[in-house]
Amino acid sequence: MKKLSELTRFYYENLHPVLEDLDKKREEVKFRVMLFGGFILLIDLMSFSFFQNNLDILLFTNIVVGAFLYKFLTKDYTKEFKDRVIKPLISAIDENLKYAKNAHVRGAKFINSGIFTQMPDKIEGNDYISGAIDDINIELSDIHAQKEHRNSKGRTSWSTIFQGLFIVSQFNKNFQGKTVILPDCAQNAFGGLIGNWLQSHNINRNELIKMDNPEFEKEFVVYGSDQIEARYILNHTLMERLLEFKKKTKHKLYVSFVFEQIFIAIDYGKDLFEPAVFRTLLDYKVAMEYVQTLHLAIGVVKELKLNEKLWSKV
Amino acid sequence: MSISLIVIIVVAVFMILMYNSLISKKNQVANIFASVDTVLKKRYNLIPNLVASVQEYMKHEKSILEDITKLRSEANKPNVSDEQKIELDKKVTSALRSIMIAVENYPNLKANENVMQLQRSLNEIEEQISAARRAYNQAVTDFNNAIEMFPTNFMASMMHYMPKKVFEISTSERKNVNVKDLFEK
Repeated sequence: MKKLSELTRFYYENLHPVLEDLDKKREEVKFRVMLFGGFILLIDLMSFSFFQNNLDILLFTNIVVGAFLYKFLTKDYTKEFKDRVIKPLISAIDENLKYAKNAHVRGAKFINSGIFTQMPDKIEGNDYISGAIDDINIELSDIHAQKEHRNSKGRTSWSTIFQGLFIVSQFNKNFQGKTVILPDCAQNAFGGLIGNWLQSHNINRNELIKMDNPEFEKEFVVYGSDQIEARYILNHTLMERLLEFKKKTKHKLYVSFVFEQIFIAIDYGKDLFEPAVFRTLLDYKVAMEYVQTLHLAIGVVKELKLNEKLWSKV
Repeated sequence: MSISLIVIIVVAVFMILMYNSLISKKNQVANIFASVDTVLKKRYNLIPNLVASVQEYMKHEKSILEDITKLRSEANKPNVSDEQKIELDKKVTSALRSIMIAVENYPNLKANENVMQLQRSLNEIEEQISAARRAYNQAVTDFNNAIEMFPTNFMASMMHYMPKKVFEISTSERKNVNVKDLFEK
């Protein structure tokens, strides 16, 4: 697997002609998006007096029409960007990896991971990457899991359960139960004693498992079906590595161990690997968002040393 | 009248909750110790096999091999208390470690398929024992906290509960076993 610096160089050097070409298209797309945006605003202003008492309807229509138009206008550009930038970047990380821009990790895997207790009504996603790194099978994609709500008037609305990267990989130890690691919200919000009490009385989860690494305990809360198995999986080294990984992701991190696999959900709160429209693709920050995120996600095998063969799985 | 009744009910509920929480903590300790015991037994069962495979070569380390055999028979005696088991485990762990280090001095032994297999099984069991010990220590800590902290300490002293001993976790155990180092010595 390539290093981050090598990958950044690949982005700026090998992909440079593509980026320049795409950036011209981006300018055209940006112009069209702004034009249509202005057009919508104009219609809004003209119909303002008409909708004065129903501003929520106006806002709702704006969001729906705006989102549809944006998607329509950027469709070709997005497709080209993924084929010409994201796909080569993934091959550059490891040539054995496969990429399917419209597929995602199967919804059943997301549900069975047991990370989120709320049952989603809709699971969407894209940018599916799969393959083996050092003989360890890994798959990952963008996932957007939503729940449908209906109010008394019968109007439906959607709330997001999770949006971000979802990674599934083989794990190097044998186990039967389920262990889930979640960001520690209760202890951070209510302090140690009350937070701990709340955590141990979470009816949606298995037993609370207190870990013997204070830093890890501060950052995460662990639930599991077996006190000993959870500690067998989470030895001191893996706790340290997960803490390191959490620092690198800079986002909420959820991990679970079920069916001899590790499931990782990183809550970015947005669809990743989508092309920038209002900023140039040559911008360092924009570039790093693609390069770094891909490197981090695919690098999880090396980062957590999932490729380290252990006794039980020799 | 009604107020004193309410007070009595509240106190009674409170007492029941405290009592139950102490009992569940005590049972949790016993429960996890049973699992610790199972993995410890698994390791004891490997000892005769290990001793048989290495004693031919290890002439100088005879005393360690004798010690470990003795420790095993002690552990297998009936009526060994939990405290004694914890002590025995500590001794066995260090004796096994010395044997494994000694194996490194005998190239023939190191390459022996049977010894390699045993080494693998022992390392796997070591991981399981370590996890079980950590789980036990957490259960004991929760139990000890409950019997020393207010207000459960009153109830605990009435029930004659005494603090329990934890397994000592050595610093070497806190570090992960480096698989590469073991092989490339």
